[in-house]
Amino acid sequence: MLLYNFRIALLSLKRNRILSLVIIGGIALGIAVSTMFSTMRHAFAKDPIPSKSDVLHYVRMDSWDPMKPYPGDDPTQPPTQITYRDMVEIMKTDIPVRQSGTFKSNLLLFPDQNIGRPRKVIVRMVFSDFFPMFEIPFRYGSGWDKRADAGPEPVVVIDEETNDLLFGGQDSVGKTVRIEDREFKVVGVLDTWRPTVKFYDVTQNPNEPPEGIFMPFNFLRPMQLQTAGNSDGWKSPPLPGFEGRLVSETSWIQMWVELPGDRALPYKDFLAAYVGEQKKAGRFPRPLNNRVQPVMTYLKERKVVPDEITAMAVVSLLFLAVCALNLMGLLLAKFLARAPEIGVRRALGARRLDIFVQHIVECELVAIIGGTIGIAISLAGIAVLNNWVKTILNRPDIIQFDPQMLLLAVGLSLAAGLVAGAYPAWRVCHIAPAIHLKVQ
Amino acid sequence: MLQMNGVKKVYRTDLIETHALADFSLHVKSGEFVAVMGPSGSGKTTFLNVAGLLDTFSAGEYLLDGENVSRLSDDQMSRIRNRKIGFVFQTFNLIPDLHVFDNVDVPLRYRGLAGADRKTRIEKALELVGLSSRARHLPSQLSGGQQQRVAIARVLAGDPRLILADEPTGNLDSLMTREIMDLLERINEQGTTIVMVTHSPECAARAQRQIHLLDGKVVDLDAAPSLSRQALLESVS
Repeated sequence: MLLYNFRIALLSLKRNRILSLVIIGGIALGIAVSTMFSTMRHAFAKDPIPSKSDVLHYVRMDSWDPMKPYPGDDPTQPPTQITYRDMVEIMKTDIPVRQSGTFKSNLLLFPDQNIGRPRKVIVRMVFSDFFPMFEIPFRYGSGWDKRADAGPEPVVVIDEETNDLLFGGQDSVGKTVRIEDREFKVVGVLDTWRPTVKFYDVTQNPNEPPEGIFMPFNFLRPMQLQTAGNSDGWKSPPLPGFEGRLVSETSWIQMWVELPGDRALPYKDFLAAYVGEQKKAGRFPRPLNNRVQPVMTYLKERKVVPDEITAMAVVSLLFLAVCALNLMGLLLAKFLARAPEIGVRRALGARRLDIFVQHIVECELVAIIGGTIGIAISLAGIAVLNNWVKTILNRPDIIQFDPQMLLLAVGLSLAAGLVAGAYPAWRVCHIAPAIHLKVQ
Repeated sequence: MLQMNGVKKVYRTDLIETHALADFSLHVKSGEFVAVMGPSGSGKTTFLNVAGLLDTFSAGEYLLDGENVSRLSDDQMSRIRNRKIGFVFQTFNLIPDLHVFDNVDVPLRYRGLAGADRKTRIEKALELVGLSSRARHLPSQLSGGQQQRVAIARVLAGDPRLILADEPTGNLDSLMTREIMDLLERINEQGTTIVMVTHSPECAARAQRQIHLLDGKVVDLDAAPSLSRQALLESVS
């Protein structure tokens, strides 16, 4: 019966082609706009590491000024980063299966002379756990080990773009790269890795691409590295210079831990105990306010999705609803014009439900055709949006039309068909059959 | 087959109340061919709508094929229309987008029959009305008489116990009228009950029994006052 209803619906669409085109066009427009902006929001809001986002936790502690809270929209929030001295201490626990403090630094890269001049590059300082913890894919080689962390050994991991620049895309494992005044051996080359949100560090622009070079964190001291990210302080360092910064209350380190199974609670207890100890030593003057949050909780709290993008997505969905409601009138007129045929069908034994389903199928057919056209238009729109995003964020193809969004677009199309068609279908299925049989 | 006892059908508006059927009683036996006549506004169409379960009635009792159908749900009425009743209309009431084959298929679809069964029934029905060669034609490509034969094929395919025909020859010329009446007679000879509303005394004469309606009631012509009788005869001629 469903196929029969589809055939009847097709005949109906052919009967009044212009009206059918207007209705299909309305659905297509609504779906194109809503899909485009929903996809854009989805790109920013989706889980960047779904396989592990519930076990990866971002760590914060409130070592801020006792007189006033850490500045921001929400006074209950602790600082977004932790101090170096706290990172060193809390990394002594073995409760997390993996952990890494991290920051980024602006360093001079010296390519071969025939490639180009020295240039400033952003380098991310990490511990060896960073790569497996965030499931970062490698094209060649791998990350380094704990011995290289401790050394620290002069090793680096570079991304494919840097590898293309320095080594023409060849397997460069074992080759050396000069950064500042040191030679570093390449131990790994990353495969394409472009999370839509740079979730491991959202303290600045969460939409900037990952860094191109990763170095052992412990080069911090020998190279006296400065952070290229945010650095929040409320108290003068006890010592001058670089060493003073390391023992200061200035927070500039992002701290991640991997806590599978039931390790989160013991880790939180450990952290509370640590802060308690520090309080006894005169630090952490504010009330205990530790945060150990899974990826998505943390990203939501940090409002990684800009409000404007959410607003655009909501407005686009309202636009679709308005399209559907406008089409309701057209469909009602179209269906009521067919009252004599409905009278005949009812006389021949069609139940109200049969008539309702017949017309809903027609609406859904319109929605499927309109939705397909709308999705095609939205793909073109997404390409335009990506170009725009590329211009302002320097990131290609951040907005991806994935299967989830395809499902959403199909769902929206069917819902729009239902919204537009339910009332007209209900009206025509209640037409009294006897009235129209004489005038067919 | 069809038994109505004291059936009333009242149409109400804010200002007036119209008794389309007033204490209407009629008994049509199984296998009968009955012609229903009467002037415009006498209640013929209302009777046919009520008899065909296309409309409800205000009071009284209606037994169809031995089943009391006075207070059925809409779905139950649809089911009975689909299985027991066949309609032939003056304006044919074919669906213009559908080929002849698909038009005949409509009631069978709602009966939920399998494809092979439907095909057999449709082909047999079209053969009976002599339109096998027109199965892939649209109604607009057929003459009036052919369209009415398609409508009759649609009835035959459903194999109903009762056919309700509402002026089936009203839009046809005399030659086609004869063809359609021949066809209805043949169907009746097979045992199908036919109730036919008509204005044509010639068509009515081919029925086994004629019933006259006036003011929503069945009237006995012989017992009617002469003036009324004359008016009635004039109105139907």
